[in-house]
Amino acid sequence: MQFFQYGNEGYKSVLDPRTKLLLLIVINVVIIGTGFTGTDFLLRIVCAAIPLILFLIIRRTRTALLYGLVCLAMFFGEAVLIPHTRGVLNLLIVITLGPFSRILVGYAFAYYMMCSTTVSEFVTAMKRMHVPDQISIPLSVMFRFFPTLAEESRAIRDAMRLRGIRLRGKNGGVMKQIEYEVVPLMMSTLRIGDELSAASLTKGLNAGKPRTHICHVKMELWDWALVLLSLGFLFYMLVLR
Amino acid sequence: MENKLNTKDLISIGIFTALYFVVVMIVAFVGYVPILMVIMPALCALFGAIPFMLFLTRTKKFGMVTIMGVLLALLTFLMGRPWPCLPIGIAAGLLADLYLKGTGYNSVKKSTFGCGIFSLWLLGMALPLFFGYHDAYLQSLRSGYGDAYVETLTRLTPDWMFWVLAVTIFVGGLLGGLVGTKILKKHFVKAGMA
Amino acid sequence: MIKLQNVSFHYKNTDAFGKLQKTRGIDDLTLTVEKGAFVVLAGDSGCGKTTVTRLINGLVPHYYDGELSGTVSVCGLDVRSSGIGDLAPHVGSVFQNPRSQFFNVDTTSELAFASENLCTPPDEIRKNIRRVAQEMHMDELMDRSIFALSGGEKQKVACASVAVSEPEIMVLDEPSSNLDAAGIEELARVLALWKAKGKTVVVAEHRLYYLTGLADRLLLLRDGKLVEEIPGEQLRSMDNAQAEARGLRSFTPIAMPEPEAPSAEKDALVCEGLDFHYKHSDKGIHIPYLHIPRGKITAIVGKNGAGKSTFARVLCGLEKKAKGTVRFGGREWKSKQRPDLCYMIMQDVNHQLFTDSVLEEVMLSVPETVPEGEREALARQVLDQLDLLPLADIHPMALSGGQKQRVAIAGGVVTGNPVLLFDEPTSGLDYKHMRQVAALLRKLRDDGKTVLVITHDTELVREIADCVVVFSKETT
Repeated sequence: MQFFQYGNEGYKSVLDPRTKLLLLIVINVVIIGTGFTGTDFLLRIVCAAIPLILFLIIRRTRTALLYGLVCLAMFFGEAVLIPHTRGVLNLLIVITLGPFSRILVGYAFAYYMMCSTTVSEFVTAMKRMHVPDQISIPLSVMFRFFPTLAEESRAIRDAMRLRGIRLRGKNGGVMKQIEYEVVPLMMSTLRIGDELSAASLTKGLNAGKPRTHICHVKMELWDWALVLLSLGFLFYMLVLR
Repeated sequence: MENKLNTKDLISIGIFTALYFVVVMIVAFVGYVPILMVIMPALCALFGAIPFMLFLTRTKKFGMVTIMGVLLALLTFLMGRPWPCLPIGIAAGLLADLYLKGTGYNSVKKSTFGCGIFSLWLLGMALPLFFGYHDAYLQSLRSGYGDAYVETLTRLTPDWMFWVLAVTIFVGGLLGGLVGTKILKKHFVKAGMA
Repeated sequence: MIKLQNVSFHYKNTDAFGKLQKTRGIDDLTLTVEKGAFVVLAGDSGCGKTTVTRLINGLVPHYYDGELSGTVSVCGLDVRSSGIGDLAPHVGSVFQNPRSQFFNVDTTSELAFASENLCTPPDEIRKNIRRVAQEMHMDELMDRSIFALSGGEKQKVACASVAVSEPEIMVLDEPSSNLDAAGIEELARVLALWKAKGKTVVVAEHRLYYLTGLADRLLLLRDGKLVEEIPGEQLRSMDNAQAEARGLRSFTPIAMPEPEAPSAEKDALVCEGLDFHYKHSDKGIHIPYLHIPRGKITAIVGKNGAGKSTFARVLCGLEKKAKGTVRFGGREWKSKQRPDLCYMIMQDVNHQLFTDSVLEEVMLSVPETVPEGEREALARQVLDQLDLLPLADIHPMALSGGQKQRVAIAGGVVTGNPVLLFDEPTSGLDYKHMRQVAALLRKLRDDGKTVLVITHDTELVREIADCVVVFSKETT
């Protein structure tokens, strides 16, 4: 669970989180709502290219390459495999590729967003958009908690292996397995959560009270350019089509 | 008792949403088999209900369940799902919250029902499987493969399947709520933690 | 600065049977801490020292429910009527658990957090962060993910994060529990810095040796009451026997015993050519030859990052890809078989407890080879050995920390594994409980187990170790 973490240490995000959110929406709307001909197709290509370029900008060359290849495979699958296969195989390909190609681009962009934005940037951006504390506080706690849960669950799994709790054998059974894994995780959650609340309160966290942010979040030239592009796409989708 | 959500409540929401989401993701990851696709959301609802029932023991104020719905909807959206997942998640959270408010947040039996309602946010996760087929995508296929083919496809994942899915998710949530209640009694009440 | 007048506090909580009960926090306590004083609170677990720290930062009575009587004033604020948020600008708190006291995922955000909540202008916060980072020599810790830090580094960040907003009072609740010797040294340096800057510092702690040089006063609490007040001068002239007489941990540092080369025996636990490295990390071990005598207690010591935990994981078969051989009792144990050779009692035993009663918990570990009819008898026998039989039906999570640890040990003993490995069994324990653990380890050894103890606790090593093995980056 490496959501919104400091994956790229030392790297500063190029785009404002607000721009990213808008782009995510637009890419979503375009990819779901367009067909494979004419202007529609052109828009799809542009949207599919955006994550590719952004991955390259944050120097995630391998991710970019992988994404590019999967995109090509999708295209190949839909353009070549589907017309040339018959029967069950054909159906399987369609069922697998269909939903996947719908969400691939959005997925890739969401991934870009996760690895190029820190929690602080995201929360600061939310504040700028006047999102209330009732949303922004739980949201930042949630992102902070993912890695903690991963750590806890690793420790619990180790303990299970030490005790020989496996799917098969005397302590077997899926339900038992899940009980042994989820219950200690919930216990930890309660305990850590309690301590986390206490620590945050002593640091003056108070819902509804104004706070400042040291995080730099600012719309730059690039942001505005992409906002314009997004609005153009939306105009096409909602009005022109 | 004060009815406004305080900082501690908000932190609780964040923590339990993370836990809930992780459980759902684990189930979804393990169950990523095409055949299981149809019942997978129900399985997610079933297992997610266990931490959700624990969350309900910490919930005594209106708004907490709604916010959890909002956060889950936002996460679903951030994971690249189509935008209608947002209203679906928010509506599921709000409805469950309104229902639980009516019960005063302290009836275990009724919590189970609330858990079923809440689970419906998962429909947002399953969205790409459905309506996506019935717009331009299908039309573009029609020209290439002919009507018969498209008909087969439509029959396999028709819109009404979405509603069938809603029912299975709801039932999954209910069953999960029962399992969750059992686990709460067996572990958390006995350990003096709930 | 801080004034407690006839203060009593009782926590409200539910017991294992769901009944509401009251636990004493402190009982009719009166104490004053002047501005700029450095005060150490000592005493057994449950003596009320943590409650005092909570009264200062307002967590009691505003976060932990209970009954409060008497008056508490901090910086002229009445704690009862002002909220935790009102005290936040004046009091900075550092807690025991490095896993749970950070709100943010990166260090810089965490340092800024308290000041942001106080609405300090961003430029000023940045300036303060730079200053604190310089004072504490932690420039290399800035802009890092908190999850990639060691325990010592985390505690340093925790201290820095309260220092940025410049509160007058610092309260620390067992800050050294999870630290090794080097980490404790760093912590002591930070505390000295605060003292020099004239901050009022209150530390509740079991380990005292690193505080004796700094303390203006040591307050000894017992059963919620103040029983003795030792001025700093006197404290520095006292020896460890006087600490022991008061049930306290040593006042002066205890040197780690020199490692003794274990004598060669033929049925010892022998590791040869153990080699394992984590992916994407420089952590790992390389042990050409290691010899651990059978039926003795061997302490494994060394700095954080020297590979002690990795060794433990390899020995228990948790790292299947580890190379090398492990021999014991005249045969070789492959990775897959090692869970039947060595059982580990983890530092956080909470991860190791799965079932809903102590008896179930132990039954879970009974080997499959034991016939159905004898399983429960065997489990009960082990429980009896560890004085746990009266607790057989209680949920493990309802027990105290020490009892939980004993349940985890019972789970290990019942497996019949000849080797038991303990990871930091005394972290955060007071003198009395440390002695209890020591006695238990000796008992296990006398029952014929080969006991390995990974620890930073020199007092424990002195107390129990038959042999000492030192791990360092160079040797592993």
